[in-house]
Amino acid sequence: MPGQRYLRLKCSCGALKLEPLNQTPGYKIIAAWLAAKDFRPFPFQEQTWQHILEGRSGLVNAPTGMGKTYSVFLGALIQFINAHPTNYQRKEKNGLQLIWITPLRALAKDIGRAMEEVIAELGMQWKVGIRNGDTSTSDRQKQKRQVPEVLIITPESLQLMLASKGYAEIFKTLRILAVDEWHELIGSKRGVQVELAISRILSLAPSIDNPGAKQPPEPDEKTVLHEVSHAFPQGKRSLSIWGISATIGNLDEAMEVLLRPLQGTPTAIVRAQANKQLEIASIIPDEMEKYPWAGHLGIKLAREVLPIIYSSRTTLIFINTRAMSEIWYQTLLNIAPDLAGAIALHHGSIEHELRNWVEEALHEGKLKAVVATASLDLGVDFRPVETVIQVGSPKGVARFLQRAGRSGHSPDAVSRIYFLPTHSLELVEAAALKAAAAESAIESRDPLVLCYDVLVQYLCTLAVSDGFLPDVIFKEIKTTYCFSEITREEFDELLLFITSGGNALNQYDEYHKVVVENGIYKITSRRVAMRHRMHIGTIVSDAMLRVKMLNGSFVGTIEEYFVSKLEPGDVFTFAGRQLELVHIKDMTVMVRKSNAKKGIVASFLGGRLPLSARLGALLRAKLDEAAEQVSEGILSEDRELQALFPLFELQHRLSHVPRSNELLIEQIETRDGFHLFVYPFEGRMVHEAMAAVLAYRISRTTPITFSIAMNDYGFELLSDQPIPVDDSNVQELFSLDNLMTDIQASVNATEMAKRKFRDIAVIGGLIFQGMPGEKKKARHLQASAGLLFNVFNEYEPSNVLLRQAYQEVFDQQMEEVRLRNMLERIQRSKIVLTFPDRLTPLCFPIKVDSMRENVSSEKLEDRVKKMQQQLEKL
Amino acid sequence: MSHPVLHKVLNQHFWLHPHRALYWEEQKSLVLSDLHFGKTGHFRKAGIAVPQSVYKEDLQRLVGLIQHFKPMQVIAVGDLFHSHANLELELFKRWRLDFEHLPFHLVLGNHDILHEKIYHDMQLTLWQDQLHIGPFSFVHEEPATHPGGFTFSGHLHPGIRLQGLGKQSLRLPCFYFTQTTCILPAFSKFTGLAIVQPDACDKVFAIAENSVLPIQ
Repeated sequence: MPGQRYLRLKCSCGALKLEPLNQTPGYKIIAAWLAAKDFRPFPFQEQTWQHILEGRSGLVNAPTGMGKTYSVFLGALIQFINAHPTNYQRKEKNGLQLIWITPLRALAKDIGRAMEEVIAELGMQWKVGIRNGDTSTSDRQKQKRQVPEVLIITPESLQLMLASKGYAEIFKTLRILAVDEWHELIGSKRGVQVELAISRILSLAPSIDNPGAKQPPEPDEKTVLHEVSHAFPQGKRSLSIWGISATIGNLDEAMEVLLRPLQGTPTAIVRAQANKQLEIASIIPDEMEKYPWAGHLGIKLAREVLPIIYSSRTTLIFINTRAMSEIWYQTLLNIAPDLAGAIALHHGSIEHELRNWVEEALHEGKLKAVVATASLDLGVDFRPVETVIQVGSPKGVARFLQRAGRSGHSPDAVSRIYFLPTHSLELVEAAALKAAAAESAIESRDPLVLCYDVLVQYLCTLAVSDGFLPDVIFKEIKTTYCFSEITREEFDELLLFITSGGNALNQYDEYHKVVVENGIYKITSRRVAMRHRMHIGTIVSDAMLRVKMLNGSFVGTIEEYFVSKLEPGDVFTFAGRQLELVHIKDMTVMVRKSNAKKGIVASFLGGRLPLSARLGALLRAKLDEAAEQVSEGILSEDRELQALFPLFELQHRLSHVPRSNELLIEQIETRDGFHLFVYPFEGRMVHEAMAAVLAYRISRTTPITFSIAMNDYGFELLSDQPIPVDDSNVQELFSLDNLMTDIQASVNATEMAKRKFRDIAVIGGLIFQGMPGEKKKARHLQASAGLLFNVFNEYEPSNVLLRQAYQEVFDQQMEEVRLRNMLERIQRSKIVLTFPDRLTPLCFPIKVDSMRENVSSEKLEDRVKKMQQQLEKL
Repeated sequence: MSHPVLHKVLNQHFWLHPHRALYWEEQKSLVLSDLHFGKTGHFRKAGIAVPQSVYKEDLQRLVGLIQHFKPMQVIAVGDLFHSHANLELELFKRWRLDFEHLPFHLVLGNHDILHEKIYHDMQLTLWQDQLHIGPFSFVHEEPATHPGGFTFSGHLHPGIRLQGLGKQSLRLPCFYFTQTTCILPAFSKFTGLAIVQPDACDKVFAIAENSVLPIQ
């Protein structure tokens, strides 16, 4: 039987010679099938197939709607047909051939359906399985008894597979591991989960040079480990890894991160040529507000959206936060009651069946409009979508373009996106986005490094299934990008953490998690194992409560943080409905329908993206134009900037419009106290860090307490006493000297680390969210992340997860590199200090922003006494 | 540094100590609540690596208070222990031996679920619902007010949010007094806070590091 060898003819020199793709039986069969449907493969698809046949790994760069799924999936089929040219239609129970990792559960169903269609039409016997948090236990069991050829899976569920006994067997037959939407995963901890899983699965795959050698009969635990320890050294692998990614600034790096565990085997990057036309239009309010207040302008413009909805087949309306999406949905229903039934709401907290329904209806073109958050950013295309409306800043060029790309799907159609500002200043951003789209200036997604929390979770995962040998796993994780810099000492520290749990009073300690038996690290307690399995899925979440109607129907999940502020009887808006809180019991919020007209809108933590550096730079350039417009009377070509003329005129009169080589600082006194506004236009995270450093540096010379607010344009220090910043000291305050020490000294780092610690504690297994049948005991295991953070900070500051929280603050939150770049820029800039007698248009949106942090050099006691004198009503 | 602050109720003298306990001068009694001993051990047994030094320090703080006030008795108004028995309780037992002759009263709280024998072995005097001394009663949860009387309780882990100009905000543990009740701060540092909203006639004493500060 002409198996694998059909493709590979040994030359005398020993190198492999390959037959051209189009001579292989698999290609012929697939091409014929496509031709029958009147399709022809795109060149990038054929290139991918060729690479797959040659055993290469790589990255496919294609936008949605170009058939990226088919590039890798059909490649897998061709590979299989080539191996079984005579009986490919009859062969069944082939074991796992293709793993398809997808970040969103919602995508799995559509992709699976598309694959099944192909398989059926080719008359093959392959099965497609879906594995994610929604997969029922009975389906899981079925999949375990008979492994499907294709498994569509989320990163968490893949980890969960590694937590089941004898997992190694399943991966032996695997030929291709595909990671869809890699651009979404790469900067996240779920991406790290993928990297780790790849490092493990690669060691399990047999090498081609030595096929069949690794088939021990009925392996017991020992043989599995034995085999792992002899992980395939030089042999060519039978398994290839393929990433699929939309365009990002660092595509080459993205491929390197994904494929690093392959350690130098040849790789390829395949790019689809796509020239889609894009049309961007801003919705400009008739009456321009001179004082922009964030958030509410958007809703005022809701009426302007109606003609757009009516005139296109289906419109997607993207809103930045789940809370705002609820408001938009309600507002649209109120102003256009005829749309009832034809518009829907889609966000991450809504119960998945409802979401599925919305997606189905979108496919079928039954909906006129869908109000959505990032939950609809990814995935298969909804062909009926003709128009996209972006409400508020999309925060980045890539996101904006991706959203625009959700409209106009046939190859020649034009993508049409409207930008609707939530405050008038955002129109500057619209102008900047247009410029960015013209230059295709797209952001990078930086990969994460040294995520100890994910590694702790991963080690426990391996300990739950078959146990692990530290030497083997250390070597494997060193091949991943994330942990390539980890030292053996750090690794040993983690091992110590999971086996003995840090600081303990030896003779009174009963710490129990991972135990070592004959050098093998394993979890032996069933209860600990069960808890760990339940936790794998919760890689990012706050304590979530389920929302249920009194009759038992499930509405969705909601952050505890929001519910804790409600009393029974309160009405809140959630999932597009008015709900009255009845009571909260066992992690479930019981509600009933309410006829109240208005409810509190459910708020959600997180999800506030900062402005990207790229967009920030473009924004400053546009502001420069605006300044020119006012000071020199040169009218900009941008409709947006023209419309903003009155606003900038007022800004100019009261203070100053900063040029791109200037930094504007405004000092204003109001009833609230003394404000210092600074406008670097670098995004909220960098501003938060800069504000903390500035506050610290000022407070070093004068005992003073600040509260801090920021948005993407600038930040505010607010104090109850005058803030000593003037031309004499302003340069030093923005100096690069001692930056790191000053960052670390600013109290704020602690507060930021505390927020970071929430996710880390959940992933690292410190927060227990309860499990069925164990409610009473679980209650004694509840502790908030904030409390745990305080305890570690005070009693075990060297704790590895705590250190990670601080590191994440410096790397990601403060974006230290970006902060440095900004200060360098400021050093070269002219600092303009103004003292307006009232609030200016630029500072207004910051004032409205609510998040505030405290920084203080005063002694705690003094502060309390001082506060007391000023106490607002308690 | 740590000076207790005097607060008088029904002509009796109560010294509020920043180590999260109060001392009743006339009765020479140390009163505290929500010690949650064994909580770190309970977490650690379940594989959650909370540093045990919290517990050690809690116990040391208790020793410090006893040495400072030299009380004739200790009254814990509930949640002395966090959960089921574990090894950490052995440390408490050892501590108890060092102060064998000091009477220790425990008004049982919702967390005190140990077997009676264990309490007995530790020479604790148990009170099911409440303990009365003159007009004063000691309970764990929500006090029932009775005319002319005054009730001490715990359970809540009261905290106070302080706000000032410039939207400053702080959360501190506190002693919370109404006309007829006092809710004690949780003694253990491994506990969260429930923020209280005092009425104008209530008295609140916040604990800021090593000081007790009358807030209102």
